[in-house]
Amino acid sequence: MSTIPHDHVAGHDDHHDHHYPGGIMRWITTTNHKDIGTMYLWFSFTMFMVGGVMALTIRAELFQPGLQVVNPEFFNSMITLHGLIMVFGAIMPAAVGFANWQIPMMIGAPDMAFARMNNWSFWLLPPAAILLVTSLFVPGGGAQSGWTLYPPLTTQLPMGMDLAIFAIHIMGASSIMGSINIVTTILNLRAPGMTLMKMPMFCWTWLITAYLLIAVMPVLAGAVTMLLTDRHFGTSFFNAAGGGDPVLFQHIFWFFGHPEVYIIILPAFGIISQILPAFSRKPLFGYASMVYATAGIAILSFIVWAHHMFTVGMPTAGLLFFMYATMLIAVPTGVKVFNWLATMWKGSMTFEAPMLFAVGFLFLFTMGGFTGLILAITPVDIQFHDTYYVVAHFHYVMVAGSLFAFFGGVYYWIPKWTGTMYDETVAKAHFWLSLVFFNVAFFPQHFLGLAGMPRRIPDYAQQFADWNMVSSIGAFGFGFSQLLLLYAVLKCARGKGEKAPAKPWEGADTLEWTLPSPAPYHTFETPPVIK
Amino acid sequence: MHAETSQRLDRSGARDPGQLRRSNVRTALVLALIAATFFTGVIASKFMGGYETGMSVVGFAVFLFLCLAIGRNLRGGR
Repeated sequence: MSTIPHDHVAGHDDHHDHHYPGGIMRWITTTNHKDIGTMYLWFSFTMFMVGGVMALTIRAELFQPGLQVVNPEFFNSMITLHGLIMVFGAIMPAAVGFANWQIPMMIGAPDMAFARMNNWSFWLLPPAAILLVTSLFVPGGGAQSGWTLYPPLTTQLPMGMDLAIFAIHIMGASSIMGSINIVTTILNLRAPGMTLMKMPMFCWTWLITAYLLIAVMPVLAGAVTMLLTDRHFGTSFFNAAGGGDPVLFQHIFWFFGHPEVYIIILPAFGIISQILPAFSRKPLFGYASMVYATAGIAILSFIVWAHHMFTVGMPTAGLLFFMYATMLIAVPTGVKVFNWLATMWKGSMTFEAPMLFAVGFLFLFTMGGFTGLILAITPVDIQFHDTYYVVAHFHYVMVAGSLFAFFGGVYYWIPKWTGTMYDETVAKAHFWLSLVFFNVAFFPQHFLGLAGMPRRIPDYAQQFADWNMVSSIGAFGFGFSQLLLLYAVLKCARGKGEKAPAKPWEGADTLEWTLPSPAPYHTFETPPVIK
Repeated sequence: MHAETSQRLDRSGARDPGQLRRSNVRTALVLALIAATFFTGVIASKFMGGYETGMSVVGFAVFLFLCLAIGRNLRGGR
């Protein structure tokens, strides 16, 4: 976001003779959490644009029945890379960017625990992204399996699949290192007096997310490693012809994949839990129950994976277990939604852009949660499996959930990051256009799914034409609306706008708001005292 | 959270940098070991074919999580 001058130091009592590299070398060699957070956020925005262009290619093809824009193989590559890029390249790095910027400032730490490893974690990402994108240009094209990478298809695809596997390995290593850094920072570098139960909710949600990542990213890495050895070294982990079991891959993938959903949404919950109290001018309702609900969601996420594969043929006892366990997640999630509503209840609310995005999140994420509850019901899921109903459901969770929270988080903290207030008119236009076009794009997909339209197809029956056209118009509108975010952020980064005070939001009470805006390059080198 | 900060030089709560560094490395090593356990475990359990391997992997990872949690509390209470 901002480029903070090196000499911009406040609260820095031990002045040393620092020699910092300038230009591009500053960004390559930096170990400063704010610089690295900035790089994560720009990287994720770039990947959001790349993945967005892929989404628009998909929607352009689906605008009308028949094949118009791309061939089916390229369409399949677009489906696969859109999923992989959005999950591993856009949403997760964005969450890590927020963590890098905010966690040290929120807990009163001078930086992350392992500053050099932090730099390495980030710089692993661009090569991984290049591998993913360039896989489109190798013989045979990019991976065409969908982001779930199911064998036996993935054991037979051309070399674009290998590049995707290596990219997943690299991004997984980056995520694990980032998570180790975040857990260590939160456990060991909190300011004196900052007990765990005094931490802001954003830090709590990230602590739990980081534990989830450490547990499940290696499982995905193990699965794709076995896939790689099946492809090239003659093993038969997932090859039925050699005695392997393709369904086992699905179990392993979703043991990673379902907690991954919470890895994506929990940091968003944390951001919402900062924004709602600030703009309601009330403390977060039920802080302790929010912490326990977050931990409850994380624990339950490990025992529900097979609801993604009800159609593979499981024993009835297994179907029932995974159905009820999935429904159980609605309880801690409901606690969180209730607490957010109770935080706003009788609050002195104002609706600046961060609050608009938070309220939009609350409404749309709850809708996505309810369709998830519907899909948890085994007999219903067997009907809706691999239809557009599922696509609509997870886009309500991932886009209107995570992405709206991240947009809100950017507007909430950008005065602190850049020292400049964002353009409220542009930000509100961004919100309303995103809200309307998002629903135009994804709400009709519920109807398409209910009518039986399968996902991951480039052509479809005439009966689905009208809602697909509406959905494509919405998708293009949503995509172009994001240019407003870019405009608003660039304006702040260039210092064009009203100067931000140290604490622009009256109701905000976490540690970062005690620092001047923009936040100095080095902060809390002397630990603050929390009373 | 209601936090008040003091920007004046107050090192009463600050920890010895060497001790902090060792503590960070210990925490990171346990976490890395948990990640390595899951990575090798998922391959080993499939390679060996028995569910006992899978259960052992999960059990060992849980044990490491407990080591991390209890170990920190023991150090805190010392």
